Amino acid sequence: MTYLLGWSVVPQTVVRRERWPGGYKTRGTPLVYPGQEVLCDQPVIRLYKAEKVEAVDTAPRLALPSVKMAVAVGAGGDSGSGFYADNSNGSTMGGDTVPAGLSGRVVDITRRGGVVIESRVAAVEGTLGAGNQVAGVLTMWRSGSPTATIPPGAILVIPGPLNFAMLRQALSSGIVGIVASSITVRDLEGFLQTDLIHLLNSVDLELAQAHLPPLTLLLTEGLGTIAMPARTVNLLSQYQGAVALLAGATSVRQGIYPELLISLPAKETQRDWNPLQPDNALTIGAPVRVCSGEHEGAIGEIDYFFAHEQVFVSGMRARAARLRLEDGSQVVVPLTLLERIG
Amino acid sequence: MQTLSHVEGGPRPASSQKPATINSLLVADCGTVFTKVSLFGLVEGQFRLMARGEAPTTATPHGDITKGIMQAIETIESITGRRFAAQGRIVTPEEADGDGVDIFITTISAGGPLRLIVLGAVSPALEELVAQAVSGLYAETHPLAAPSYIATSQPAPQGQAQGASANAGPWTPERIALEWERQLERIREIQPQAAVIVGLADGPAGPNPLQEACQLLLNVAKEREEKGPSQAARRIPVVYAGAPQYVEAVSRMLGSTAEVTRVEPLISQAQLGPTSTAVSNLYNTQVIQRIPGYTHLQALFSSPPVATATSLSSLVRFLAQHYAMNVTAIDVGGSTTTVMFAGERGEFMPVVHAGIGVGPNVGEILQQVGFQRVARWLPFDISEEELREYVLNRMLHPHVTASQVRELQIAQAFAREAISLALDEGRRHRFDWPNADLILATGGVFAHTPRNGQAALMLLDSLQPRGVTSLVLDRTMLVSQLGAVATVAPVAAVQVNENDAVTHRLGTCVIPYGALPPGQVALRVGIEYRNGRQISVDVMSGSIEVIPLRLNEQALLTLYPAPTVDVGLGPGERARAAEEIDGGLIGLIIDARGRPLVLPQDNRERQARLLQWMQVLGV
Repeated sequence: MTYLLGWSVVPQTVVRRERWPGGYKTRGTPLVYPGQEVLCDQPVIRLYKAEKVEAVDTAPRLALPSVKMAVAVGAGGDSGSGFYADNSNGSTMGGDTVPAGLSGRVVDITRRGGVVIESRVAAVEGTLGAGNQVAGVLTMWRSGSPTATIPPGAILVIPGPLNFAMLRQALSSGIVGIVASSITVRDLEGFLQTDLIHLLNSVDLELAQAHLPPLTLLLTEGLGTIAMPARTVNLLSQYQGAVALLAGATSVRQGIYPELLISLPAKETQRDWNPLQPDNALTIGAPVRVCSGEHEGAIGEIDYFFAHEQVFVSGMRARAARLRLEDGSQVVVPLTLLERIG
Repeated sequence: MQTLSHVEGGPRPASSQKPATINSLLVADCGTVFTKVSLFGLVEGQFRLMARGEAPTTATPHGDITKGIMQAIETIESITGRRFAAQGRIVTPEEADGDGVDIFITTISAGGPLRLIVLGAVSPALEELVAQAVSGLYAETHPLAAPSYIATSQPAPQGQAQGASANAGPWTPERIALEWERQLERIREIQPQAAVIVGLADGPAGPNPLQEACQLLLNVAKEREEKGPSQAARRIPVVYAGAPQYVEAVSRMLGSTAEVTRVEPLISQAQLGPTSTAVSNLYNTQVIQRIPGYTHLQALFSSPPVATATSLSSLVRFLAQHYAMNVTAIDVGGSTTTVMFAGERGEFMPVVHAGIGVGPNVGEILQQVGFQRVARWLPFDISEEELREYVLNRMLHPHVTASQVRELQIAQAFAREAISLALDEGRRHRFDWPNADLILATGGVFAHTPRNGQAALMLLDSLQPRGVTSLVLDRTMLVSQLGAVATVAPVAAVQVNENDAVTHRLGTCVIPYGALPPGQVALRVGIEYRNGRQISVDVMSGSIEVIPLRLNEQALLTLYPAPTVDVGLGPGERARAAEEIDGGLIGLIIDARGRPLVLPQDNRERQARLLQWMQVLGV
C-alpha cells in the first residue's frame, strides 16, 4: 500500500538548484562557469543594483507618448554577511557578491545570471515559508541564549514554535533566515505585513515576495503551535555550523514549498555514496507523522491496516491505519493524514 | 435566458486506436488534489463499475502526473487481483487471464486554468462576450483595455472599473502613460499563458488599441526573454478575434514572438463558438500538455486526455436529451466549481469557475465573500481567526480528510459559497438559471459527505431551486468521467451511468416560493402511496419537512399552496402530478423556508434554525 505524501526530510539526495537570491528585476553576472566545482561559501554571482531605463526598441511607433519600459536592474541581492534581498528602494549600491550556498558542480547559467548547482545534500521541505533564497550558517537556538551571541548572517534553527517577538528580534539582529516548527496565523501575518492567503495564491512569486521583510522563514509543521519532530531536530543539529541554502517561497497555486538544503561534507560523500530514494509506501512498521486533525503532529509506526473504510468522528469514511505512537498509545488515522517520515 | 452553443473542447480519441470489441476500461480523472481511477467491466452483459482507486495527484512542478495514476491503479489491482500496469505502462488489450484493459482514458482538471489576457478595444460588451466564450472551459480572463481605447471611449468609468481611478482626471498623455505602466505591472502579476485580441477599429481610437495590444505582448515577450531561455522559447499564443482588416498587420507586428490564431471577429453571441474552440485548443496545448509527466502519460492512454469539464458537459447534455428534462449539474472540486444547465430543448449554460474550490482554492472563496457569508452556515460560533486558520491549513493540506464534525461543517459551508459564486458568475454572463427537473451533484465534498441530508442541504441552500425537482448524488464521482468514456464506448457510458453513477437518488423536492405567510401553513401536501394509503401534511412557512417515500417507492402528489404561495403554476394554484413521483434515500423533501432563503440575523436564532433543519434531514 502506498500513499505519496511524505519524506519532508531526506538525509541524502542529489539536487539541482538555481542559486538566485531573488529580488524583482534583479540582474547578476555569474562568477563561475558550467563544469566548475564550487564551495558553499564561494562567491558565484555578482549582483548589479544600478537602475537604467531601456526603451522597447522592438515595438512599432504607436499613438502613445514615448512608452518605455523601466527595467530596474539589481533591485535585490545578498548584502554583506546577511544575504537578504533589499527591494525597498532600488538605489545604486554597487555589485555585491552572492555565495553559492551549496557545494558541488555548476551545471548551468540562467539568462538572468543565476547559477545552477548540482549538489549532494540533506534536504528539509517545509510546509510553509516566506522570503527569498538565502545562504547562511546553520545555528541551533538554545533556550535562554541571547540572540547577541548568534552571528549575523546565520540561519537560525528553532525547534519549537515561533512568535512575533522572536521574529522582530531576529530581524534586528541580522539573522538571514529561521527554520522553526510552527507559528500562529496572527503572528506570521503581523510580521510579514501581508495577507497569507493572497501570498500563497500568488502567480508571480518574485513580485509577491518583493514586499516581505528581509528574513527568510521555513516552518516544518506550518501553522499552529506544534513542535519540530525529533528526527528533524537531530538532523539539523548534526549540521550545526554548516553553510545551508534556505528558500522560503511558498505558492500553493504553483506547488512550490520552502526548502532547506545542506551540502553534505566531502567525507560523507566520498565512498559508496548513493542518494536515498524515498520510499513512500505505507507499510506495517513504517514511521509516519499525522499531518492534520485531532492527532496532528503525532509520530508513530503503522501497526495495522484496516481492510475496510473506517468511520471517523465527523462521520466521514476513509481508508485507515492504526498507529502505535511514541508514547505507546494507539490511534486510528485516515491514510490521507499520514506522512511517511523515514 | 441566454444559452450557449456547445463547444467540444479537447482532442477526440483516434478511432483507429480502439480495439474491435471493448470489454473493459480504465478511466483516470486527475483532479487538482486527487486522482481517481475507475475500472469498468462487463457483468452479466452490462458494463458496471468494478473497482475504484484514489491517490493524491502528483502534478507538482518536479512531479509526474502518472505516479498518482499508477498508485491509484495499484489500489485497483489489490482489490481485483488483476494486473493492469507493468513497467510503467498500461497492459492493453485485456488478456485471457483477466489482466489488462482494452481502453485507458484520462480526464484532467489538474494544472490550473488557462490565464488569458484580453487586449485591444475591450468594451464591457466584448469583455462579456469573451467571458461567455470561455465560461465552459478551465480559463480565467483578465481584460486590459488599450489605454487609447479607455481614453477615447469614456472619461473615467472604464479606468475605474480596472483600478485606475487613482489617476482620475482628463486623459493627458502622461495619464495614458501611467495607465500603460499599470497594465505592464498587471501583466507581470497575471503571468498570462495566452492572449485574446478583440475589437473592431471603428471607434474614435481607430486601430490604435490593436497596436497597443501588440506592444503589450512584445513587452511580455521581452520580459520572458530576460527571465531565461526556457521562458523565451515559448511563443505567446494569441487568438485574434479583432478587426479582420488588421490581422496581417498584427501578425507582422508580433512577428516571431507570438503564434496568432485567427478566428471570426467577436462582435456578438453568434461568434462565440470559434473563440471558444480556439481557447479550448490553447488549454490543451498550454496547460494539459505542460503538466509534469505528460510525456509519460502520452505513452499510457488510448486517446488524448479530455478536460474534465468538457467530459461533464457531454454527460449533462446527454442526460437532458435522453430523459427529456432540464438538468443542472454541480461539481465542487478542490480548485474549480462547475455549474452546468442543460435543457431538454438543447439549451446549455456552463459555468466553470476556475479558481474557486474547497481545496487549494478555498482561500479565494473567503477573499471574495468574506467571513460573515461563510460563517452564517455554521451552527456554532467561530472566530474569523479560526476560519482563516482552517483556510490556510486546507490550502496547505488539501488532501486531508475532515475527521472532526467542525471541520466537515466548515468545508460544507465553503461548498455552499463556492456554488453561490459560480451561480453569480453565470448571472454575470446573463444566465437566468432555469428551474431544473434534476439536480446532479458531484465532487469530493458531495461524494464523501457522511450523510445524504448534508448533501441535500448544501444543494438547497446554495442553488435555492424553486418548484419541484429531484436531487441525485454522485457518490462514485463517475459522472465527470462518463462524457469522455462515451466518446470511445458510448454503451459503457450509458450503462455505467444508470447502474452505478446516478443511483443515489436523494429524493424529490418541493420548494414553494412567493410570499410565504409567516407563522402559517405555506403548503398542504397530499400523498397517495401505491398501496392506497393517503396522508396529508401541512408545512409551515420557514420550515423543512421530510415525508417518507423510500427509494424505489412511488406516490401521487397533490400540492395545495396558500393563496400567496407558488409551486410553479402561479400563486395559490393547486398542483397535482400527472405521474407518480419517485422516492429517494431521504424521502420527499418540502423546503418551505422561502426564496430567497434568508437566515435569521440573531446568531442564536440562526444556529438553532440551522440545527433544526439539519435534524429534519437526518444530519
